[in-house]
Amino acid sequence: MMADYIKFVDVTKCDGCRACMVACKNWNDLPTVTEEYSGSIQSHAKVNAHTWNVITYNEHETANGGFEWLFRHQSCLHCVEAACEKACPEDAISHTEFGSVVIDHDKCVGCGYCVQNCTFDVVELATYKDKHGKEYRRAQKCTLCTDRLEQGLEPACVTACHTDCLIYDEKEKVLSEAEQRLAKIKERFPNANIYNPQGIKGTTTVYLLADKPSVYGLPENPKVPLSQIVWKDYAQPLGKAMFGVTTMAVVGSVIAHAMNREKGEHKGGQDHE
Amino acid sequence: MTVVSRRQFLKLSGAMAATLAIIELGFDEKKIYADSKNIKIFGVKPTPTICPYCAVGCGILVYSKDNDVIFTEGDPDHPINEGTLCSKGTTLRQVFTSDRRIEKPMYRAPGSNKWEEKDWNWMLNKIAEKIKDTRDRTFIESEGGAIVNKVESIACMGGAALDNEEDYLLSKLMRGGLGLTFIEHQARICHSSTVPGLSPSFGRGAMTNHWIDLQHTDCALIMGGNPAENHPISFRWLLKAKERGAKIISVDPRYTRTSAQADLYSPMRSGSDIAFLGGMINFILENQLFHEEYLKTYTNATFIVGDEFDFNDGIFSGYDEENRKYDKTKWQFKKDENGEIIKDPTLKNPRCVFQLLKKHYSRYDVDTVVSITGASKERFIEICEMYGATGKPEKSGTILYAMGTTQHTVGVQNVRSFAILQLILGNIGVPGGGVNAMRGESNVQGSTDFGLLFDSINGYLEVPTTDDATLSAYLKRITPKSGYKVNNPKFVVSLLKAYYGEEATKENDFGFHFLPKITAERNYSHLRLFEAMGRGELEGLFLFGQNPVVGGPNSGKEKEALGKLKWMVAVDLWETETSSFWQNEAGSDPSSIDTEVFFLPACSSFEKEGSITNSGRWMQYRWRAIKPKGKSKADLEIIHLLARRLKKLYKGNFTPVAQSISALSWNYGEGDHPEIDLVCREINGYDMKTNQLVSGFAGLADDGSTCSGNWIYCGYYPEKGKNLAKRRDNKDTGMGNYLNWSYAWPMNRRNLYNRASCDSSGKPWSQEKVSIYWDSVKSEWVGNDIPDFGKTTSPDDQNGTNAFIMLADGVAGIFSTSTNDGPFSEHYEPFESPVLNGLSSIQLNPVVQFGDQDFNPKGDSNKFPIIATTFRVSEHWQSGAMTRNQPWLSELMPHMYVEISEELAKEKGIKNREKVLVSSARGEIEAYAMITKRFKPYKLRGKNVHHVGMPWHFGYKGIAKGATANRLTPHVGDANSTIPEYKVFLCDVRRVQ
Ligand code: SF4
Ligand code: SF4
Ligand code: SF4
Ligand code: SF4
Repeated sequence: MMADYIKFVDVTKCDGCRACMVACKNWNDLPTVTEEYSGSIQSHAKVNAHTWNVITYNEHETANGGFEWLFRHQSCLHCVEAACEKACPEDAISHTEFGSVVIDHDKCVGCGYCVQNCTFDVVELATYKDKHGKEYRRAQKCTLCTDRLEQGLEPACVTACHTDCLIYDEKEKVLSEAEQRLAKIKERFPNANIYNPQGIKGTTTVYLLADKPSVYGLPENPKVPLSQIVWKDYAQPLGKAMFGVTTMAVVGSVIAHAMNREKGEHKGGQDHE
Repeated sequence: MTVVSRRQFLKLSGAMAATLAIIELGFDEKKIYADSKNIKIFGVKPTPTICPYCAVGCGILVYSKDNDVIFTEGDPDHPINEGTLCSKGTTLRQVFTSDRRIEKPMYRAPGSNKWEEKDWNWMLNKIAEKIKDTRDRTFIESEGGAIVNKVESIACMGGAALDNEEDYLLSKLMRGGLGLTFIEHQARICHSSTVPGLSPSFGRGAMTNHWIDLQHTDCALIMGGNPAENHPISFRWLLKAKERGAKIISVDPRYTRTSAQADLYSPMRSGSDIAFLGGMINFILENQLFHEEYLKTYTNATFIVGDEFDFNDGIFSGYDEENRKYDKTKWQFKKDENGEIIKDPTLKNPRCVFQLLKKHYSRYDVDTVVSITGASKERFIEICEMYGATGKPEKSGTILYAMGTTQHTVGVQNVRSFAILQLILGNIGVPGGGVNAMRGESNVQGSTDFGLLFDSINGYLEVPTTDDATLSAYLKRITPKSGYKVNNPKFVVSLLKAYYGEEATKENDFGFHFLPKITAERNYSHLRLFEAMGRGELEGLFLFGQNPVVGGPNSGKEKEALGKLKWMVAVDLWETETSSFWQNEAGSDPSSIDTEVFFLPACSSFEKEGSITNSGRWMQYRWRAIKPKGKSKADLEIIHLLARRLKKLYKGNFTPVAQSISALSWNYGEGDHPEIDLVCREINGYDMKTNQLVSGFAGLADDGSTCSGNWIYCGYYPEKGKNLAKRRDNKDTGMGNYLNWSYAWPMNRRNLYNRASCDSSGKPWSQEKVSIYWDSVKSEWVGNDIPDFGKTTSPDDQNGTNAFIMLADGVAGIFSTSTNDGPFSEHYEPFESPVLNGLSSIQLNPVVQFGDQDFNPKGDSNKFPIIATTFRVSEHWQSGAMTRNQPWLSELMPHMYVEISEELAKEKGIKNREKVLVSSARGEIEAYAMITKRFKPYKLRGKNVHHVGMPWHFGYKGIAKGATANRLTPHVGDANSTIPEYKVFLCDVRRVQ
């Protein structure tokens, strides 16, 4: 059995250089999505269909009146219990042997349920044109560079990162080192914590955060809503059998919409200044 | 074929790249990616190159296929970056793939509003004719009775991004062949304060240590620099030091990405560095934190200063107010009847350097310092204590700086303050110590080494002037009586042989009269060059990758001056703001500008081969990964083709105007592209008779029997087929010095002055930080570095503790007798300041010289009450031509902005994201407001003063466009280096209505 590997992000080491952002574009041949001036040096409000990781910059006044400029490499967390996977009516989203959550573009129909259901708001639809000029859409997000992992290469962003803020290594080892690191930084960052939410059975991208998750716009204690689990594991297989795939997609859209409204409060609440 | 086991992940990135199938480089092809059919780099051979941006000198692998670059990634075998990169290095691919690259030569006729495509031949012929025409009309044969053989109507700028071989040919052609005196480049405006600051202190003007060595520090003081953004991979090594328990201190007018990683941050308003550092020096002396034994052994602290030296209310003795100049003879050391300097080893004599130092800086008490700098008292003291702790013999502290230090009217004295601080703490020559001048252009070290500044010829030899009637007079002037520079005649004659070959004979002073002579005392630097251009004194201008319309001080005025030129040759990859200064977009009226412009498309660094020298003096080779894009050419070829045409035009002509170019030896093969190996041989030097390469500068002679194009590089190519810049053995030979990776000048020494890492007996100050040590059995210096010292000079020898071999006295200069503005540093206010000097009644550095007034209107603090500074960001590079033309980097940093504190925003009613106008006495620009907690108002001498800052990368060309910050900056420079005072000026900010 191979050991479990995770991508680990120690935000207290990040110096905000953004090599990870362009390494991702370079490896995955992603186009630019230039945004309007945001009032800070942050380039994108959040990840998007062609920008799979974004460094967020947060000018944070700490509880004791101090000042910290907090950076975070934001990308898909590759949840063990992944809401996007549960939401997908086409079974296009799955876990690989590396624990990465990937989207099969042959199966994806661009319905957007995963976009609306992602716990961390990191999936988006990209629009493409086929050879007849007809537009179609596909869900896009960080793949954890599964194609590189398959060849024994680290993710492109990890390879680029010079501060070792990003590492890809054996889970056990990383997590135990993370505890030591946490103890070390507590003095400067009393609210520091390891973010590996158990409500979704943990993630394959684990963070060491310098402050509370909410300071970074992350949900403190995320869970996949029961309704979604029911939808994926029971209603959907049954529905497809009864009504056929197309009808089921329409039904799914209504349900997804409802679910989205339910979790609306953390949408858009990213850690952008 | 091996399928990779998942367990191997971590090693694999390195192993994968080790498939560097460049067999010639000695790599085994490990077929580990034989199964990677699905990934785009499957089966593609990467070519190693060195990053063309900052001078960290990271290794990059270029994957090219079907005449396209498909991926670029850090070179895992490279010891500095170990596979990692910053955003600029990562996107190197787009330097090739960007559709904005200029692929064909372009010509702009006088008065025209457009470019026309032309072929290379037409362009080069026409340029050669222009040069000849201008030279023939304006050539100066003699001046004030001296033979000068020079041309002062053509200027050449640029070279910091070229390869060493190109820089060598460029200065050879421009100075040695065409006789130009206006030879300048980026180093003038970025680090020219470094050389005159460090040289009198230590002997050389270069960064003392190297990037990997930063990991050995116990404390890094980062001041006047922002390495996390501008030299990002340096941070890899600083963070390793931090893991070891080292501390990082960041002192900067605003909180930066570097500050975010620091243990201590203190604000300090722009232009108050000497007050801050003088305060630190004083604190360390008062609290006995200095390294006494080091001070006594390795510095001139014990020297007795002559009776004429004095200091009063901001002025040193010997001041000539009318000429704004000092008579430096008033600052000499006291000598005995044998001409030996008198010393006091007890440091008690009130006239010894140590006591004078104490007295001078005693005025920099904590309260005075905080009132001038705006730092908080508590934080300032914390910093003094933290950094002062490196004065313990076994500890080392490093100082990292860049443009925040150099670009001031007191730039050189800012650097001198670092040197003094480090010398009293015993931090020079030791691992993890040093004064580390972080160079910002990949080869700005090399371009400076190769004489591309008006005042120095190759290897930092002083440029000949009208005072040097003969070679012997010149050699006499530039050769001291002791120290390593007694060898200068060998270096000069070998250079003349490299330039003029057979035409340089003993009888004709080795062709000394072929070299142009600048007018003694005249300054030809960037500021004065543009002023001369503004007066219409220049006809022609060459630009090799320099873009002064964005990067020049008071750039709007410099842009106007360009219109006075008859012709301009711009060699670049991109259409820059300077090459297109005549366009409507630039705010010009093309019909009224008669300048003919020749745009020659250069290829990028990995479309050719050659070496560059990083900030740590590592000379690293870059191989060609792909052929030049479109019809672009390597600068080496462009210079070569031009030289051949000029030689042809002047063929057989030995009249004064023609003789230098006719005599210039130019033998680099028959092809259009010069044989680079021949250039490399000439730079290193060889025996003129046997053609045998010289193995080091000790082998050079002053009788014409050897040539060497640059003595400090002599030894990098010691024998045929052994160009040491190509070495790629990344085994650590000890202390991270990687002695078999590339080559470091001089003589592969990695940390300069490493003799001082040991006590007088030759034992390392710290057993954890061993550089070299004296092995009494072998009777030689051994260890982890190449000794920057006589290998067999025993500690007991009379020169056995002369660790600073390049200085005449053999010891480091706490007291400098050669700096224009005084032996010690002294705080003066910037050219524009909202407050009066809190240390003396002298407001501005009293020896700053002024140029043409219309270039430098001065802002009044009533009208412009806010202090402004400029800075760079990680995602762009210099004037932005390289990065603003690339999609991915432009996406990361697309907009021009100005950083404003919340307090100032409130006062001015400015909201975040709004557009504001920033104005100075020189101009006005529009930018987005970035309201930030990272800037705070300053309390200066009881007065509240606001401070803003803005990036200077932007211009009107490229993908990411924006207003140019340098339209606001003053046209005034340092008293020694004439570096412009970019880093501080006065402005006002208001909302766009
Ligand atoms: S972060 Fe969102 S997209 Fe990624 S696995 Fe989790 S739920 Fe799915
Ligand atoms: S893991 Fe790969 S896909 Fe995901 S952000 Fe990093 S580089 Fe992009
Ligand atoms: S590459 Fe590393 S240090 Fe740079 S921004 Fe990304 S995570 Fe931070
Ligand atoms: S810009 Fe400097 S730090 Fe960044 S990759 Fe290039 S050499 Fe390295």
